[in-house]
Amino acid sequence: MPYGDNNKHFEHLKLPMTWAVMGVVAVVCIVAALMFLGDRREDVEPGAYNKRAGFDTVASLPDKALSYPVHKIGDGTNWLDDYFFAVRENRSLKKKVAQLQQDHDRMVELADINARYEKLLNLRTEPPVETVAARSVAVSRGPFANNRLIDAGSKKKIGFGNPVITEHGLVGRVVGVSADVSRVLMVTDVTSHVPVMILRSDARAMMNGDGGGYPKLDFVRGKDSVKVGDQILSSGDGGIFPRGLPVGEAVKGVDGVWRVRLYSNRAPIDFVKVLLFKDFSQLPNSDTLLRTPAVSDVLPPPAQPVVASASASSASGSSAPRPAPSTAAVTTAGAASTSTPSAKPKPPAPKPATPKPAASKPSGTSDAASSTPELRPFVPPATTQTTSPAPEGQQ
Amino acid sequence: MKVPGMLGPKRRGISGAAINRGLRSGMASKIVGPWDWILAPALMSIGLTLALAAAFQPFGFYLPEPVSPLILAFTWPLIRPSYFAPLVLGVLGLFLDMFWGASLGFWTISLMLVYGALVTARTYIVGQEWIVVFGIFLLTECLFFSLCVLLTLIDTGVWPRLWGVVEQAFATTLLFPFVLYLLEKYVHADVRFQ
Repeated sequence: MPYGDNNKHFEHLKLPMTWAVMGVVAVVCIVAALMFLGDRREDVEPGAYNKRAGFDTVASLPDKALSYPVHKIGDGTNWLDDYFFAVRENRSLKKKVAQLQQDHDRMVELADINARYEKLLNLRTEPPVETVAARSVAVSRGPFANNRLIDAGSKKKIGFGNPVITEHGLVGRVVGVSADVSRVLMVTDVTSHVPVMILRSDARAMMNGDGGGYPKLDFVRGKDSVKVGDQILSSGDGGIFPRGLPVGEAVKGVDGVWRVRLYSNRAPIDFVKVLLFKDFSQLPNSDTLLRTPAVSDVLPPPAQPVVASASASSASGSSAPRPAPSTAAVTTAGAASTSTPSAKPKPPAPKPATPKPAASKPSGTSDAASSTPELRPFVPPATTQTTSPAPEGQQ
Repeated sequence: MKVPGMLGPKRRGISGAAINRGLRSGMASKIVGPWDWILAPALMSIGLTLALAAAFQPFGFYLPEPVSPLILAFTWPLIRPSYFAPLVLGVLGLFLDMFWGASLGFWTISLMLVYGALVTARTYIVGQEWIVVFGIFLLTECLFFSLCVLLTLIDTGVWPRLWGVVEQAFATTLLFPFVLYLLEKYVHADVRFQ
């Protein structure tokens, strides 16, 4: 066809294939980058993983099917093992039962004493936590994400933040829930931060995951607060985990960093228990609790310089502005009262012999002790009916 | 490509059929569609990822966790630049993000950057000895996992355990024979790819 055909001007124009493909790659990269920027995994919130609930439900199906024969084979080998080694196991179990019976009697005695102490001291004890058993069906164990899918979900009352343990120790917490499947964020994940305590010294620390099997123990304070082999428990600080869950033992890495040898790694994680523990953030209204108060609600307003009369300033002979009477600062602790008409300028106080510049003299410490600015705790407006006026005695 | 142990394009795979369009048998071409070299390997990659994520610890050891879509991100641009392959690779990355619980876009960005780099450099790589291709694959892996570490650092502010990264890279390297297999099977399989 000749080049001058009016109908097909561009038939000989070929878009370079490589550049066109690069355009497609760039578009996909831009979309992925926008998704990455909008999905900050560090902010582990209920909505962060819940949008993957449908995917988790579907993705767990093939792994349930795959794990079924594995579990069956495991159960079969366990049955054979029990059958052949029943006598030897029976003997060792009898010894253990005798020992545990003594421990049980001692435990009952101590529990009785403990209950009496609690009544005497009028302690507020924590109620027992309900648990749900589940089975692990899929694992992500790479260095960039450590997750686990378990075959129990919201139908069994599992909710966001519920701690997950095995018979050995803490495994992680639930970060995504669907009807029949939940996603567990392992304590080894890079976004996992668990407040812990060292049982021997009662020292506090933060156990931060790094994708490996030995999470780091950061923010350890005090001399000899940690020793090799110390037992690590959850401290309950922050309210995410209940206090006293066994976590692991302290070890020192080759890099000199304190790490935790997890109890949950003692055996393959197959069955887990989900504690239906309501963490602290679920109890109060988080919108009210976590709202940052206005600065004017917390701090006293800055001191306003007094505009002295021309005669007074000429009489004093000082050109420096004087600080405002601090009583005005006290009465204006609330934001609404900053412009109260009661804050009238008072006659200047008697000057000291050597006047100082106003900038070096904070208004809050100028006069009497009764005029010290008061720091008030923030009270959310939802819980208060009206803004309480300043007391009369402070006027 | 000279690969030890492989006989060359004389073999016919189970997926493709030889079509004789009136030419002599030696010149008959084989139609290789997107299903053969894009969709089927992508589904196999998803299957491998699902299988290796099973909660099963034989003798107390974890199963390896290779990034199998990296094999495709390395192979597809060498076989032929395609409009369809990067889209499928993006879907694979999204699947890894969802299944492994990473931030959305984490694996997609890493895989797409590997694909884009190799599309621009494919003419220098295709036709080289397998050992050269293996060296470039190792280099690509280093860049890929470095990018993953960087993205993790940006996302969480925490350095992931580097030894764990090396372990995952090693598990991915064990899949390199599939790179040779796909290249041997599809690079010269269709005259339209030339």
